[in-house]
Order: sequence, then C-alpha cells, then structure tokens
Amino acid sequence: MTATASTQTVDLVARFPGIVTAETRPGYSGFIVEKDKLVEVATAIRDEFGYDLLTAVTAVDYLPEGKMEVVYHAYKTTGGPGLVFRVQVPRVDPIEVPSLINVYPGADLQEREAWDLMGIRFTGHPDLRRILMWEGFEGHPLRKDWKEPFYEEDAKPFKSRWPEGRHVSAEDRNPYKDNLKFPENFDPEKWIPDNDNMLYQSLKRYTVKNENGLETDHIVVNMGPQHPSTHGVFRAAITLEGETIVGLKPVVGYLHRNHDKIGERNTFLQNMPYTDRLDYFNSMSNNLAYAITVEKLMGIPVAERAEYIRVIMAELSRIQNHLVFIGMLLNDLGAMYTPALYAFEERELILDVFEAVSGARMMCNYLRFGGVVRDIPPYVMQKIKDLVFDRLPAKTDEMDRLLTENEVLVARLKGVPVIDAENAIKYSVTGPVLRAAGVPYDIRRADPYSIYDRFDFDVAVRYNGDLYDNYLIRLDEIRQSLRILQQAVKQIPDGPINSQKPQYQVRVPAGEAYGRIESPKGELAFYVVSNGKPNPWRYHVRPASFVNITCLEKICIGAKIADFVALLGVLDIVMGELDR
Amino acid sequence: MMLSDWTLWLEWLIKSLVVTFGLLTGFAYLTWYERRALARIQARIGPNRAGPQGLLQPIADAIKLIFKEELVPAKADKTLFFWAPVITMIPSLIIAAVIPWGPAIEMFGRVIRLSIADLNVGVLYLMSIASIAVYGIVLAGWSSNNKYAMLGGLRSSAQMISYELALGLSFATSIILANSMRMLDIVEAQRNLWFVVVQPVGAVIFWIATLAEVNRAPFDMPEAEQELTAGYHAEYSGMKFALFFMAEYQKMIVVSAILATLYFGGYLGPFVDRFPWLGPIYMIIKIVILLFVMIWVRATWPRIRYDRLMAFGWKILLPLSLAIAFITATGILLADLSGNPLYFWAIPVVSVLAGLFTVAVIYRELRRKAYGRV
Repeated sequence: MTATASTQTVDLVARFPGIVTAETRPGYSGFIVEKDKLVEVATAIRDEFGYDLLTAVTAVDYLPEGKMEVVYHAYKTTGGPGLVFRVQVPRVDPIEVPSLINVYPGADLQEREAWDLMGIRFTGHPDLRRILMWEGFEGHPLRKDWKEPFYEEDAKPFKSRWPEGRHVSAEDRNPYKDNLKFPENFDPEKWIPDNDNMLYQSLKRYTVKNENGLETDHIVVNMGPQHPSTHGVFRAAITLEGETIVGLKPVVGYLHRNHDKIGERNTFLQNMPYTDRLDYFNSMSNNLAYAITVEKLMGIPVAERAEYIRVIMAELSRIQNHLVFIGMLLNDLGAMYTPALYAFEERELILDVFEAVSGARMMCNYLRFGGVVRDIPPYVMQKIKDLVFDRLPAKTDEMDRLLTENEVLVARLKGVPVIDAENAIKYSVTGPVLRAAGVPYDIRRADPYSIYDRFDFDVAVRYNGDLYDNYLIRLDEIRQSLRILQQAVKQIPDGPINSQKPQYQVRVPAGEAYGRIESPKGELAFYVVSNGKPNPWRYHVRPASFVNITCLEKICIGAKIADFVALLGVLDIVMGELDR
Repeated sequence: MMLSDWTLWLEWLIKSLVVTFGLLTGFAYLTWYERRALARIQARIGPNRAGPQGLLQPIADAIKLIFKEELVPAKADKTLFFWAPVITMIPSLIIAAVIPWGPAIEMFGRVIRLSIADLNVGVLYLMSIASIAVYGIVLAGWSSNNKYAMLGGLRSSAQMISYELALGLSFATSIILANSMRMLDIVEAQRNLWFVVVQPVGAVIFWIATLAEVNRAPFDMPEAEQELTAGYHAEYSGMKFALFFMAEYQKMIVVSAILATLYFGGYLGPFVDRFPWLGPIYMIIKIVILLFVMIWVRATWPRIRYDRLMAFGWKILLPLSLAIAFITATGILLADLSGNPLYFWAIPVVSVLAGLFTVAVIYRELRRKAYGRV
C-alpha cells in the first residue's frame, strides 16, 4: 500500500540521468532531485509529464541523518496518481533550496510556511517572510532540536503524567523552565513588528502617484484581524484607490498553534481528535483524511460497513458545509443573516446525526484506523434516510428558489471574476473554486479513495469562474452529495465496524504516506512520516484553505472593496485550518 | 392669531412635545418591532425575555446604552466628534414638524391643527432638512480618524446627494398632482383618489430613494457591516452611538410618514370626517405597514455594490423620475386644456409602461451581459 504508482508511470531517472535518483528507502516512493537542478526538473515535470497541479510543499527534518528534505507532491488535473519528488540538503544553516514559485506559483505560501517553521531558505522567493509565527520569534519550531516553552519530552504520553496519573505542573518538572526566547533588547512596549514594516513596504509600490501634476495617495486599510467578514482572524492589508483594490497582502497566523508540532508530540491515535480542530465545520472529513493516511502507512484494510459509514458522514459534512457556505456568502453580501439562519436550521439536523453517532456535534472524533468507533443505531439510520430522501433535497431546492434568481444577488455575483482555469491550476487552487473555473477535478473521481468509485455521481463543474458560478457549484455539489448518500444508505451492508481490535496504541511501520481527500473546501491532505515509533516523526497538514488563499492577491487586484468580501467568501476559508 | 397669544405658544409647545416623545418612543419600539419581525422572517424568536413579548427590551437597551462608557479616539477631532451625532439627530426630529397627523379637531373651544407647523412650502422644508443629516454622517466619519469611518462618511455623502435628485423629482410629482406645496393640501387633494393610484411609479421611486436616503438595506453602504465594520459610527459608543441609531430609526418613521402623506392619503380613511381622532390612527397604521416593508426588505435582500448603487441612482432612477415628472405634468396639462379626463388616466398607464420598460432593461442587462470590473 505504501508505494504509490508514481514510480511506475514516470521515468524521471531516464530523463535526467545523474540528476534524479529513484527513492530507495523502504516505505518511501518518488524521486530525489539534485538541489541545483530542481527548477529545471520541476519545469519538465510540469510541461513534459503533465503534472500541472502542485498540491503540497513541505519539509521534513531528518535530524539523526543530518538532512533536511523538501517534499513536493504534484498531480495531474486530468486525474491519476501523483508524483513525489524531493530535495535533500545537509542540515547546516543556511539551508537553501531554490524556490519553485516561478514554475508553480501555488508554492508561494507553502514555501513561506516551510521557511517559517523549518528554516529552509527558498532562494528566488520574492517575499520570504514568516507567515504563521510572529515576527519577533526566535528559531524555527518544527525542527527537531527546537524545544517549545514548557517543553517536557519529545513524545507523549509524558512520563510526568503517566502512569501514576498525578498531575505535576510542567513548569516545575521540566529542566528548560518556560523556555521563552526573545530577541535581544526586546521591549514589547516599543516593539513595532518588522513584518508590518516589510508588509507596508511591499504595498508601497502602489501608494503615491503623480497624475497630471496632482499628488494622489492611496490609503492602506487593514481588513482584519478583527473584522466581521474575514471569517475569523484573517487579515488582509489592502491598498485602495477610492473603492478599488490596487494592492493586497494576506496576513495569517493569528490563530496559529503549531498543529504540526503538537501532532508530532502526540501518538498516532491522539491526533485523531486533534484533526477535528482543523476545519471545525468538517471534523468528519478531517478524520477521514487522517485515517486514510495512517491506514496507508499501516497497510490495513477498512471494514466494509465502516467504509459506507465514513462516506455517509463525509458527505453529510459536505452538505452542511456548503449550506453554511451559501448562507455566509449571502451574509457577506449584506443579506442580514436570513439565508445563513435558514442554512443553520438544516445544519443543526445534520449535527444531530453526528451527535447521535459520535457524541459530539462539531468535534466528532469518530473515525479510527480500520473503521469507525461506534455503529450507527437504527433510529439514526432512519433519521439519515429521512434527511437524504426528503428534507435535504427539498430544502436545497428551496435555497435555490429563494436565492438563485434574486436580482441583487445576480447583480452582485454574476460576471465578477474569481479565477480562470489556467490561473487556478497555477496557484494550486483546489475544490469547488477550481471546479467553478471549468476544471472538473474532484479527487473522489480523479484519484479515488475510500469507496467513492462504487457510487454513481457527477463531478460538478461550471465554466465561467465568476462569483455566481462559485455560488451555483455549491448547490450542484449538495445535489451530487445527496445522490451519493442515497446510494450509500441503500447499499450499506451489515458487519463489523472496524477491521482491527480496539486499541490505544497502533503500530505504524516506518515510511511516509500522503493521504488526500476531497474535503468540502478543497484538497485536504496529510503527509505523515513514521519511523516505527508510537509517534509520527513528521505530521503535516495540507489544508485546503491555506493553499487556496495563495491566489487571493491575484484575484483581488482590480476588484472593489465590496467584492473583496465576496471573493474571500467564495474561497471558503476557515481559520482553524488555515492557521493551524 | 397673534404671536402674543400665549395659548398658541402653549399649543405649539404641547404639540412639539407630543411629536418629539412620540418619535422617541416610536424609535424605541421600532427597534423592538424590527427585531421581532426580523426574527420571525429568519426562523427564530427574537427578544422575548424582558417583559411580556419582550416589550421592555427597548428600555433595557436604553439603560445599557446610557451607562456604557463613551470612548473618544485619541486622535479624533473632539469637537466635531461630539457634535456629529447631534447634527444627525436634530434634523430627524424637526423634519416631522410639517407632517399633518390628522384633520383639525376642536378641543377646549379652539380649532387645533394636528401638525406642528402648517407651512405653505412644507415640501421644500422636508427637502432641505433631509439634506442636513448628511453633514452629521460625513463629519462623524471624518472626525473619527478611522479609515472605515471615513469611507463610510464619503460613501454616504455621495449616495445621499445622488438619491436626493430622484427623491426631489418624486416630491415634484405629487406637488404637480396636488397643485400645492402645502402638506395639508396634498393630503386633502387625495380625498377622492390616493396619488399612489395615479402615479404608482412615483411612489416606488420615492420609496427606493428614501431607502437610500435613510441608509437602509439594501442601500446601507455607509455602515456596510461586512465591508466597513460599522462605517461612519465605527468609533462611537454609548449614548453617542445611540444618537446615530435613534436618528436612523426616526428617519425611518418620518420617511414612512412622508410617503404615507404624499402618496397614500396621509391621515385619510373611512369616517375620518366624522371622527377626526381616527386621522392619527390611520396615519400610524399606514406608517407601521410601510415600516414593515422596510424591515422585510432588510431581512431578505443582499446589499447592492457601491458603484452599482451610484450607477442605479444616476443612470436609472434619475432618468426614470424625470420621465415620470414629465408624464405627470403633461397629463395634467392636457387634461386641463382639453377637459378630457382620458389624458389624466393616461398618466398611470404611461408611467407604469415606463416603469416596466426600465425593469425590463435592468433585467436584460443583468441576464445578458456579465458586468466586468468597472
């Protein structure tokens, strides 16, 4: 299970003899590329081999081997398995790797993240600033030799908490005390973030102009981090000319908690509830992505009934996400919560189902490796049937009837461009936004996982790539999800719900796995590296929201400030996932 | 009637107090009414805890706002920051002075007109007072030293000035029909036929323009929450904020009253001649219905984008209202000259055709052409 098909389909080694070598470590796949030729090889991968969608860029710190590795996952938008290529560099600062931003512009924010958390300097990146951590931060936290404040041990369960079960304050126990590091002469009262200066400098090229001898000045407006329509603590520094946006820089990281680092401290199973907190609207989907990844590593099958349950939960999750999306989009357009509240009414019913099966409405923690944690009781099954056969189709049609032809809605949405197909692929946009631009790329079809290949459904696609299509495609997807659900609830077999015995600790063989699903917001993927210990060596989340906002600057320039809100709205970001 | 007549002074004083307190109470209960109505439209309940049916909620809100801390931004222009809400608030109160609330009644042996002032240029008074309010908003936006507030203030000045033209022309329509600028005459001229029947398009234009004039959804640009946080009043808190809030809701009441007066027969209704006290009641019923439509619109429609709003004001509403005024004037003139009432009845027909034509143009434009970025 661990070896993906990529090695068989593409012969990079023959194309680049001496530059590219095939991966030989057990449990690993793909190719190792010479650092200096990376851009050349990547261009060939994109142009000659057709891997036009770079989904993930991440780094792994192999401290014992003294190596840093940058891992790239590229896919074809026509479907099929992906290609993994990686660069290995000695672990001596400065660690420099050429930036792929000119080949795949979608690498922009992910490279900044790798610089921020791993300290890999991407040469040629035009704007290599910290992105998730704060500006005065010392060090690169995902490196294995970096210890966080109140550090106790490398891996859970911590000895101080277990097995006696007595609580001892971490501060008292650990030898590093609070371990807070500040830059020299740091005075929080007088501190002005460098990053803000750099940010405004990068916007400066838009500011002062001289038109016909008139000095005009643009204003810089910070939308967020406290703003009603940035869906949390997202911040965009915007340069405005009148009401038109001439410059924009996204600023993220206000909700950053270093999910990856915490995930590496946890055991494999402890991460399952932690994934709930990523995209807190779709904890079921997050669970699914993580379970698929670890199952790939473990090489275990999934119980048949559990596969169906997973699909049912994931699709219900998609429906409620899209309903809330439509409601919130209308809210962003100024529709005074009415559509949002109508959407929430349906969402509550779906959350009732989640609560009945998992015990929690939002933080479900429902999946386990090899299956799910509890079976669906018969009365809940009946409830699901009522929902997917009667209530939800009717309510979707109602939403459609009430909103789609509304004059103001049409005036606000139609013809306002979001992103076209070419740029969407370039900027690694996935999910409904990509499909609304006319690229029928849905991982459920393109690279099927779980049992999606058994169901009869269409990949929703729209061709104009404007706001209106981005709105309509959510309705289409709800209808397709309902089709899948209707088949799934009919076909679901009886049987065990887990192929494994219930266990607190799973044994995961050494290796790497990249598991991805079509989450409601786009491609959600986990990249997990195991070295055979109870904790993952590397646990990386590739969130859809984070990668999708790479294109934000591109799509907002030239738009009106009122459209910015809608454009951000259709990207459907959720800060729990974006900032991790 | 001499100014030294102290009873006249007393009458004015009492009438002013009644109207002022009526508006202030009306404002308070309008917030309650709006919240309950919105809640019902949005499939929820709304405030129902304070008092029966939540009727004490406005009082609780008022107490909260009075005792809230008032923040003044450090770099604000303090004087203007203080006066801006006052400048916004006062016009919304005094504009109600010329609205006739009923026919004259006899009380304590004297004839009392149910309006504070019976100006012979009442409509002009309305227009001039209505345009003062924009100063308060612009000054609030500017003095707050906040970019969102400034954008909100600028938006509102542009918006209000643009829509005042259409508003003025739809005033003109009913002036032409009534052949007087006196509010009382306009009402009495509708004794046989409400002007909304003669000139429905004019009433609709008036309605749209007033929505823009009082910054209500879907034209609530200056305070567009999703774009400008709170717009011009972003930096205001406590009672100063409450003043803006009051001004907005009082203006809602007043423009509903004006619309009722100009197009829906004001205080007129069955038996109003025999029982003059029915006048204010009919007026209030009409106002409440019109207010409900405003709330309904707010609950169901998204906001129009700012540049489209301006385009709509200048390119659609203004030409249409010009055409409507022209059609009305021509119809009246021809009917007078020829003595043939058919010309009079051509007014609603031609106007409605013009209105439908405009709607068709908008509809086609929306469906056919994808608006690019302007």
